[in-house]
Amino acid sequence: MSNFARFEQFGYRYPDSVAPTLDGITLQFEPGLTLLTGSTGSGKSTLLRTLNGLVPHFHGGQAWGRAWVLNRDLRTTSTRQLAREVAMVFQEPESQMVMATAGREVAFGPENLGLSRAEIGARVVAGLEAMGIPELAHRRIATLSGGQRQRVALAAALAMRPRLLVLDEPTSQLDDSGAERLREACQGLVSQGLAVVVAEHRPWRVDGRGSHRLELEHGSLAPPGRAGPESAPPPTRTKRNAGRIAWQAEGLSVGHQEPVVSNIDLSCREGEVVCLTGTNGSGKTTLLRTLAGLLPPLSGTIQRYPGRRSYLPQEPGGVLHQASLWEEVRQTIRWLDLRATPWPILEEFQLTALAATDPRDLSTGQRQRAALAAVLVGAPKLVFLDEPTRGADAESRQMLIRVLERLAGEGSAILVATSDSLFARQIGDRVSELESGQLREVRERAA
Amino acid sequence: MAAVLALSLGSEDPILRVLTLGAALAVVATRRRAGARLRPVLVAVGGIALLTVIFNLLLSHTGATVLVTLPAWLPAVGGALTLEGAAYGLDLAAGLAACVVAGISLSLVIEPFQMVDSLPGFLSRTGAALGAAMTLVPRLGRSFGSVREAQQMRGWQPHGLRSWTAVVVPAVLTTIEGSVLLAESMEARAFGSGHRTASAGPGWRTTDVVIAGTSAAVLVTFIAALGFGQVPVWHPYPALTLPSLGWWPFLTCLGLFVPAFLG
Repeated sequence: MSNFARFEQFGYRYPDSVAPTLDGITLQFEPGLTLLTGSTGSGKSTLLRTLNGLVPHFHGGQAWGRAWVLNRDLRTTSTRQLAREVAMVFQEPESQMVMATAGREVAFGPENLGLSRAEIGARVVAGLEAMGIPELAHRRIATLSGGQRQRVALAAALAMRPRLLVLDEPTSQLDDSGAERLREACQGLVSQGLAVVVAEHRPWRVDGRGSHRLELEHGSLAPPGRAGPESAPPPTRTKRNAGRIAWQAEGLSVGHQEPVVSNIDLSCREGEVVCLTGTNGSGKTTLLRTLAGLLPPLSGTIQRYPGRRSYLPQEPGGVLHQASLWEEVRQTIRWLDLRATPWPILEEFQLTALAATDPRDLSTGQRQRAALAAVLVGAPKLVFLDEPTRGADAESRQMLIRVLERLAGEGSAILVATSDSLFARQIGDRVSELESGQLREVRERAA
Repeated sequence: MAAVLALSLGSEDPILRVLTLGAALAVVATRRRAGARLRPVLVAVGGIALLTVIFNLLLSHTGATVLVTLPAWLPAVGGALTLEGAAYGLDLAAGLAACVVAGISLSLVIEPFQMVDSLPGFLSRTGAALGAAMTLVPRLGRSFGSVREAQQMRGWQPHGLRSWTAVVVPAVLTTIEGSVLLAESMEARAFGSGHRTASAGPGWRTTDVVIAGTSAAVLVTFIAALGFGQVPVWHPYPALTLPSLGWWPFLTCLGLFVPAFLG
């Protein structure tokens, strides 16, 4: 077979949508690793969904042009048929879990293939091993962190032993070791002559030698040869002058019932950005939520300087409910009785053109920016952000860095929990790593 | 669940309804899976029951025993509030609560995947739909909690029913989006594409067979009792009367407690 998928002048429009999401796509997916890049909202997730027929068969809408996947006509081949050979991992791993435990979740796909129990068992073990999480086999999904769920979703896709593996932002919540595991697994498939298609805003995390690159721009392929997206970490900057202590935790233990982080001291000054990193499941979110005042500490004390707290949850969709993006930001202004208008923050996140759009019609990356705009409007004193770069392209990351730099310059104390170690190095005045329930300062920016 | 629904809806007899509610609660309390929380269910069911009693008391205005008379100029609630209205409200509340507990018990007692695994192959789509539906309530609960705390951090404060739209709307939308993504995920993993192997072993244990058999027997016996006119009729209006005991449906109803006593 010369190619795994072929598109000829392919276009697609979602139901009730005026503008097409994909238009005039002509391309071939060859064996090997293909990196699909493009800014948020450029149509990457939609193109990936055509590779297993979810677009158009599951979503409806209107498709035109021709497309073949594994030599089958997309118009006449259902997702269920394609899914036997095409595995996909979606952008939001927390919503795609069917079963109650990690092991059963990984087994779900092979079970649907009607394999023998012995074969299913072997694939489950291999999938979990490949993603470095064999110890999670019997853990309940509900108790896993976002990054651990992402690893389970990837293990589940690998257990399908697909000919074509499709990954949508697979490293968005993975720590460095998880990303390395994924890169190795992809290279393993590629070495067998199979195909892996990855949409990824940090392509260097999954890139291997000889990978193909495609860039989408407003639903069409960008001209070949033009400058691609960022492929190497941008430089870091110098330390800011920090003011008095804004919040301080002493002897803090956090967790839901059992402590996941024990007896730590941590503080943040006005004008300082502190980043919390750590492996998936190390307790970053639990610690951040406790420091933000959303969870009671198991023991220890937290002292916070009075002032407005702002918080971005890991799933940003939860803060969006207004009919337009402008209204969404305006809502925060009304609730907090701020002297501000939505426009400056929308402009900072380059969302003014989308101001009238319903936030739920936005792509994942755009939604993330929308949620950030909604929680960061005005001048919050204490800022707590959970995985703020999730789904963010290079440009969005730069926007966020600029906004956080501005807020820090205005005296905000900022705490960021992130598995994005590059972002932590770029923005953090201090980077603290959680490991085995303890906190370790790994880096302080030079003055 | 079908047996509880039949007994709750097939008769207005308060003795049967209270017994059925007791059985449903006993089953949920004794057979709920590890980690399933009972308190939110009890709070929700208690709230629904209380509202039912209050609404019926305030709005029925029928019955011989007047407890208090509200001024006539009060819209809807103005007029006599009666003992019969309160009694009928209690009866309705017991029936409604039994139905709600029976519905919720599905997600508290079994895992969604057990529904997928336990049904025969030709019903796999139905099992998947039921399994996905079962995740809705716990998903909504989790979503509600996380949205509420995120909105509170944005300055939202509850003041009146209308203000809750800022929490309820995104919680419901997030849950629906999650369910659509779950369906997509199942489709993308070849669910329903052919023969399926349940790797966790046979879905039906002896206990499961006994529970299913008992429930089916209760259902059939109750329908027969209805057909033979053996289910007592109770109506509190115009004057409150004590319900009479129908032995056939009463003994049938006791069968609903069987799952609570099985190991």
